[in-house]
Amino acid sequence: MDKKLKETILNPILKGNPITVLILGICSSLAVTVQLKGALVMAISVTLVTGLSSLVCSLLRNGIPMRVRIIVQLVVVAMMVILVDQILKAGEGTYAIDKQLSVYIGLIITNCIVMGRIEAFALGNKPIPSLLDGLANGVGYGLILIIVAFFRELLGSGTLFGLRVLPAGYIPNNLVILPPFALILLGCIIWAHRAFDKDLQEK
Amino acid sequence: MNTNSNLYTVIYTTLVVVVVAAVLAFTATKLKPSQDANAKAETLRQMMSAAQIKPTDELYATRNAGILQLYADNIREAYTINLDGQKVGTLSTGRSDIGLVDNLKPQNKAIKDGGDATLPVYIFKNGVIVIPVYGAGLWGPVWGYIAFQPDGKTIAGAYFDHESETPGLGAKIKDEAWFREKFEGKQVAFGEEPAFNLSKNAEATGAANAVDAITGATMTSKGLNEALNIWFKAYGKHFQANVNAEEE
Repeated sequence: MDKKLKETILNPILKGNPITVLILGICSSLAVTVQLKGALVMAISVTLVTGLSSLVCSLLRNGIPMRVRIIVQLVVVAMMVILVDQILKAGEGTYAIDKQLSVYIGLIITNCIVMGRIEAFALGNKPIPSLLDGLANGVGYGLILIIVAFFRELLGSGTLFGLRVLPAGYIPNNLVILPPFALILLGCIIWAHRAFDKDLQEK
Repeated sequence: MNTNSNLYTVIYTTLVVVVVAAVLAFTATKLKPSQDANAKAETLRQMMSAAQIKPTDELYATRNAGILQLYADNIREAYTINLDGQKVGTLSTGRSDIGLVDNLKPQNKAIKDGGDATLPVYIFKNGVIVIPVYGAGLWGPVWGYIAFQPDGKTIAGAYFDHESETPGLGAKIKDEAWFREKFEGKQVAFGEEPAFNLSKNAEATGAANAVDAITGATMTSKGLNEALNIWFKAYGKHFQANVNAEEE
């Protein structure tokens, strides 16, 4: 694998993580991280949507009239989001999770990461790197989502993936369940990330 | 080619929209049957959870086909009534074409406006009578299924669900088994106002129709209380006229 492609894949997961470095997609990372299961499905959905939208927009990039490019991108992203939502609703196993995530699947369309990657990368690059860039950004987003959800489900419900981990006597912390705690946790993750990676520190 | 000319832009966007619309229309049509099947099985799970046919966890671990079979095996009869409490139709109970009134929103509107409501009554073989309730929570609709003992006033079980109540607060109406278990054994005062009382410190009154509201979920509890009372009132005539008379 050539160096540039490797960079495309690894950068969004570590140094250019959409949540902790670019501070995009904060809204949904607060909303869907109460339970691991929901966070995992959300992570997979966003990964698919960013990946496929980037791929399609990259294929269209030479033909899109510049004046209406945002609208065309929006139509493509909206289509992907609706497809994901419809498929989740149709699957026997995923129906309950789709119900639990309710509006947040539909709101993937407003996730800045999706449009951000199309504008910043897909419109200027070939389809395959664009697909990988989209997928990698989705993974970078999903990774943070899962870390946040791990702590929130563990401390807020005493379970992981719905299975009881902490003893039954554990009194769930109600603050952890509320969105503000996700923001606090996210702040801690950003702190840890910057302490670990000196390049990210601002002068 | 000039990709910025007006003609090109119009043709291009039209094509994109037509293609996207075609893709979405195709998938929506293809997936509709399985989505409907999922929604139906979900309703049946909630009804059977309320009717205590099987524990809730077990119902949610059962696949759709098993749920349809379980319902067909356990239902005695299902029919619809109007606001005067008169029977207006029957709902099929066969495994392959189970009849439900599962779109409760228009019924809720009809009850409030005093219009032409079609309210379902499901009677299971164990004698339990299940009816739905529906109303507005804090962020979206809340609904539930209430199962009555054959006496037509003692609650045998309940199941509540919501579209988007706050996780950890309002969502407790669905997530916490202790909340729905509180309803078991309570008695609905059909024909009285209010028929049921879900509010702060309600249990302290010692009334048979009182359940405490959930702390931190004031608006959800209030919405659910309103839903219960509006629907109990709508069913009041039917329960007073038929169910109690049958038993006496």
